[in-house]
Amino acid sequence: MTDQQAMLLFVVFGPGVVFFGLALLWLLGWNAPERFLSRVTAVVYALETAAVAWLLWLVAGRGEPAVVVALGDWFAVHDYQFPLVLLGDALSLSFLTLTVVLVGVIGQFSSTYLHRDPGFGRFFLLLHLFAFGALLIFSAGSFDLIIGGWELVGITSVLLISFFHFRAGPVENAWRVFVVYRACDLGLITAAFLLHHVGHVSTFAGGMPHVEGGTATLVGLLLLLSAAGKSAQAPFSGWLPRAMEGPTPSSAIFYGAISVHAGAYLLLRAQPILLASPWAGAAVMVTGALTAVLGTLAGRACPDAKTALAYASLAQVGVIFVEIGAGLHWFAVLHILGHAAVRTLQFLRAPSTLRDFHQMHAAAGGQVTPTGKHLERVVPTRWQLWLYRCAIDRGHLDTVLEWMIVRPLCGLSVLLARFDQVGLPARAPAPAPGVVRGNEAIGKQGVLHG
Amino acid sequence: MADLAFPYVTAAVALPLAGAALAAANETRARMVSMAAAAGATLSSLGAFLAVERAGGGRLDEPWGLSLFSADPLNATFLLLYSLLTLGILVLAPRRDATSKINAATLLVLAATLAAYGADNVVVLAIGWVVSALPFIAGPFHGTWRPRVGLMLSCLALVGALGIIANAAMTDRSAHPLSLAALQGHNYGGAAAFAMLMAAIVFRKGIFPAHAWIEDAAEAGPVLPFCLFLNGHLGAFLLARVVIPEFPLSARGAFPILSDLALFTALYAAVRAVAEGSARRILALLVLSQSACILAGLESATQEGITGALVHCIVVAAATTGLFSVLRLMEVRFGRSFTAAEYLGLARYTPRLAVLFAVCGLALVGLPGTLGFCSEDLLIHGTLVSHPQIGLLLPVATAMNAVSLFRLFSKIFLGARAGGVYGVTDAVPRERWVLAAIALFLVVAGLTPATILGFRTQAAQAAQAPPHEKAGGPLPPAPHSAILAESCPAGICR
Repeated sequence: MTDQQAMLLFVVFGPGVVFFGLALLWLLGWNAPERFLSRVTAVVYALETAAVAWLLWLVAGRGEPAVVVALGDWFAVHDYQFPLVLLGDALSLSFLTLTVVLVGVIGQFSSTYLHRDPGFGRFFLLLHLFAFGALLIFSAGSFDLIIGGWELVGITSVLLISFFHFRAGPVENAWRVFVVYRACDLGLITAAFLLHHVGHVSTFAGGMPHVEGGTATLVGLLLLLSAAGKSAQAPFSGWLPRAMEGPTPSSAIFYGAISVHAGAYLLLRAQPILLASPWAGAAVMVTGALTAVLGTLAGRACPDAKTALAYASLAQVGVIFVEIGAGLHWFAVLHILGHAAVRTLQFLRAPSTLRDFHQMHAAAGGQVTPTGKHLERVVPTRWQLWLYRCAIDRGHLDTVLEWMIVRPLCGLSVLLARFDQVGLPARAPAPAPGVVRGNEAIGKQGVLHG
Repeated sequence: MADLAFPYVTAAVALPLAGAALAAANETRARMVSMAAAAGATLSSLGAFLAVERAGGGRLDEPWGLSLFSADPLNATFLLLYSLLTLGILVLAPRRDATSKINAATLLVLAATLAAYGADNVVVLAIGWVVSALPFIAGPFHGTWRPRVGLMLSCLALVGALGIIANAAMTDRSAHPLSLAALQGHNYGGAAAFAMLMAAIVFRKGIFPAHAWIEDAAEAGPVLPFCLFLNGHLGAFLLARVVIPEFPLSARGAFPILSDLALFTALYAAVRAVAEGSARRILALLVLSQSACILAGLESATQEGITGALVHCIVVAAATTGLFSVLRLMEVRFGRSFTAAEYLGLARYTPRLAVLFAVCGLALVGLPGTLGFCSEDLLIHGTLVSHPQIGLLLPVATAMNAVSLFRLFSKIFLGARAGGVYGVTDAVPRERWVLAAIALFLVVAGLTPATILGFRTQAAQAAQAPPHEKAGGPLPPAPHSAILAESCPAGICR
């Protein structure tokens, strides 16, 4: 194994090892003190940053070939293998650098921001798991491995949205985000299978599997479904404002920087497939353009800073999708890197928005008086009310999804429940506290009987 | 044919039987006796497992002229896993669930299930199948009428089928008319026996339309013994042990229909769980859905699908034992059954139980890094290869299961604290160690799945059908590639 390969392994698996170590110790009863967690995080990400910077310098600066680490098959049955291949090319290393730098920054910010919060340890555990998932996505040399990182990022995202789990709101919103994630992940799973089935290989470390025609369109659209879900593109944009229930540092790293751009990375990685299918490329552009318009519109009617930032972020990612669909590969990468850095800063400053405004107001001698009327002036009056209603309902996307998917599914579920109860007496209502159904004895609330 | 050095399977069956008798007679030491018996069964099963692994995957008969049981790659893992799960449940069961009567019945279920796994004889298989269901039909675990009827029909169908097979074998003057090994590829009993075996599997596994009894049993019965009963997966085992080897061509002909039915059941249960209110029913529906996925994998006729199904048996058994155990422990602490109607916010009191529930749940629905991810990956691949259109339902069902599971988790553990809740204790050591062992197994095996997959691949090959069936004598087994070529003309399975 060369130094570059060892370094890439360290960069990708470092946060994973930290997570598993800390989680195991916690399960065995040890609660790590805040200072320990902060220092471990600082040291790990400082080393990671140095390592990935060196790799980036070698590959992008000196033009050395991409780093490929083939770790064999994770598992293999008959003719089916799950290859463990890591790829460190210029695209991967750009995203790896972005991830380790921003996670390190967020770690430092959070050690102060979440000081004495009861969930301090939990936050850092999830931050390491998220970093591991994101690094796995960006360094994966196969779509199978991307799925692994994709799911880890999804579950940590949901767990951080419900970080303040003692309130019903964040939990409810986390569940809704989880639903969208799981539904859209089906696209990536099916696309990976199709590539395996048609191309007979799912790794792209040695070049993307060759697909064309209808297959390329189908795979491209499936990848777009997954990317749209992860990057909150239309019609799945409704989850992004819900995700703002999490703590500010997690909002910054997930929805300002890394997670929200994971969908764009997937499409960048699948660029040869999109180029092979004009329809899929056009679909990417249309999705991005629609989202950009929607994000701009909805963002202007948001009542709080974080949601406004979320929609601004969404609009920019929409533009990035347009760039990817148009084949402006490296322009989109630069756009992502710049956008992620700026948006992270904005999210981290969001709790101080009022203070910043007052400071700016005072510095300008009390002359800053925003009118809130710029684009509105060019819109006919009779359209303004309609657009406003559309903006405050966030493009009616959630409403449409609820009417078209959620309600029919719940209705079907209730119908099936009735079918299962045919011939039985109606189910008893939920029992009163203290009374146990069936063969259970009557217990006392909150008393340990075990 | 090689023999085991010690009658491990006989010992694994006899020890729980003796333990059940002792536990029933001794009220005060019932728990200790039960745990000792289950530990003895676990050690015996481990002996059989290691012997089969050392032998390189072949079938091993019992020594000393005992011809009722044998061990091979297909049953050795089931024997060990089931003994371990029973031991775990006996250790962590709340005091109110560990009476002498309940422990004795649990040990009886263990002995009968191990007998069915290890059976090399149709009579022993039938006895194991029926006795393992008896406590739920007429014993201390019996619930409402639907579980009783479902299980009775399953027992009647199996006994009838095995009776027809044994009768046909005797008429054919087979040298060993009751031996399962000697029946391979003969098609004894024909369509009638095959149909009755399939009916037994459908009723036992709760495949649509015979699925509703599982929900009722979970809702009204004692949850831990029922979880143990479900995780025997005797229906899937019967398919792999008897139906595929005995009726290879009939099975191949019927598999597309059965596979579609299993996938439909997986989707049905997943949709059903979406709006279900009772926590126990939600978990039962998830087990039902995932168990149907196992059948779909077995019926995919691809080695990836069959291996995935056999590994998924392990995942479902371990994960749902963890889930049902945490649910029961929380019910005992909280004092009532849970509904998904309101948030209870119990994670603030029981963070470790909450995390263990989440890990088991995520393993069940295939989170990367857990064994569930490997088994789901193989299952999805196998079913998509064999039935591309219908196979798409499997990831959809799994996604919906994940949504229902997260809903249940959030309702029990997250949200605002329910009124009147105070002083709920987190996992005590005996609970924590058992549940942590389950969670660790799911994660460590998921990170390094090669060992388990290797052993299960041997089992998958052992479960492969011989090439022909006829009314006369047995034929030599065909290479696996020939079977795949026949079932997959396009060659994509090869």
